[in-house]
Amino acid sequence: MKYLLPILITALFTMGSQAQEDDLLSLLGEEEETVEYVNAAFKTNRVINLHSLESTSAGVLDIKISHRFGTLNRGAYELFGLDNATIRIGGDYGITDQLTIGLGRSSFQKTYDGFVKYKFLRQSTGAKKMPLTAAFFASTALQTMKWQNPDRENYFSSRLYYTFQMIVGRKFSESFSLQLSPTVVHRNLVKTSAESNDVFALAAAGRIKITKRLALNAEYIYVLPDQLLPGFRNSLSVGFDIETGGHVFQLHFTNSTSMIAPGFVAQTVENWGDGGIHFGFNVSRVFTVVKPKFD
Amino acid sequence: MNSIFDMENTTEKIKRGITALLLLLITAVLPAQHYLAEEGKVYFKSDAPLELIEARSTAMRAIIDADKRTFAFSVPISSFEGFNSPLQRVHFNENYLESDRYPAATFSGKIIEKVNFTAPGTYTVRAKGKLTVHGIEQERIIKSELTVSGAALTVRAAFTVLLDEHDITIPKIVYQKIAEEIEVEVEAVFTPE
Repeated sequence: MKYLLPILITALFTMGSQAQEDDLLSLLGEEEETVEYVNAAFKTNRVINLHSLESTSAGVLDIKISHRFGTLNRGAYELFGLDNATIRIGGDYGITDQLTIGLGRSSFQKTYDGFVKYKFLRQSTGAKKMPLTAAFFASTALQTMKWQNPDRENYFSSRLYYTFQMIVGRKFSESFSLQLSPTVVHRNLVKTSAESNDVFALAAAGRIKITKRLALNAEYIYVLPDQLLPGFRNSLSVGFDIETGGHVFQLHFTNSTSMIAPGFVAQTVENWGDGGIHFGFNVSRVFTVVKPKFD
Repeated sequence: MNSIFDMENTTEKIKRGITALLLLLITAVLPAQHYLAEEGKVYFKSDAPLELIEARSTAMRAIIDADKRTFAFSVPISSFEGFNSPLQRVHFNENYLESDRYPAATFSGKIIEKVNFTAPGTYTVRAKGKLTVHGIEQERIIKSELTVSGAALTVRAAFTVLLDEHDITIPKIVYQKIAEEIEVEVEAVFTPE
């Protein structure tokens, strides 16, 4: 009894003051919730060939240089495809954080392409919870090869290809992101009447982040049946993203030669099964044209 | 043993005990003098040979308990703006500070010097406590300038954070672009709660 009370009081005091310090921090924890947009679902705005659900930030120019070498099954004589390369050089620019435009030129069928991509839903947590990111993508491609039959009447419109795509995806965790892209490619002119002008496809793409700066990407494009001639295949690509500050290096294997939708959706002919695999890379370098406001 | 049966003595002790308990209760129940800051400013600078990076937040929240001289500061990592490019900000959150896992940087502890919070003036004090950045706690003593003017308190402090001490690693490729020692400046205006 003699010692109980002082001990009790001391204990109470100690507990009280300890609780006090914790309380101070926890008092601060009751912060007004803000909207936290989820970012970096993918390292860059392309998965491999497909557009990812990321857009280019406002005021940023993203210069992309992409190569697809010949197929591995060409053997040692062509250094497993490295003797040949198909390239695309292009630039994407972020007008706002949600609106991206881009231009490019591919050596594959000497094609120019331009696109607009608008992200209308952004995955977010906090005050506003949104489980998905969604973007609309539209592009026009202009093929500039010499006419195969210069003698007949040829129309400029025959050179045009259009692609419309919805990109819906989610960053499920720090290391896993998945997206689906229903796609339609419209070709003004096709070779035979057996081919359809509109090609409908469903693309799926995912990313697994392995380390802070390395990610594994894969994408598959399923073309709905009876639209293409036999011999055309679905595009499958697997690759790594390596990020080094301002650059993203994407190294991959794919059975598609073209790097734009009319090509890789509707004109993929190679087959993974017999080594019809292209090694390729995309190098992305971002330049800040308009510096973020800093007041 | 005797004292237990000594009624008078025991009564006296119980009385004293009750008084002490009452005093304790009163202290606990009486509202402590708290000062709150809602929009505190935090600025940081990474001055490396090849690149200068600056960012700031105005979302720091802080509280000071004038009676106990304890304090707590907290700033959400994702609230920092500035940087040299939007990508840099993404990397800051994603790769360096990992704001998903460690959403806030905090500093909490006790002011070493006794301060009269009612007498206007500028005091230089030392704040001793735990600085938590990137989930790593470091015991720090940070020299601060505390200004009492009317009912408001202003706290200003400048200190440095060593990335290494908080397990923030810089890859070799950007070694020349990120300073190992980050200069931080903090300013907050407190009002009584």
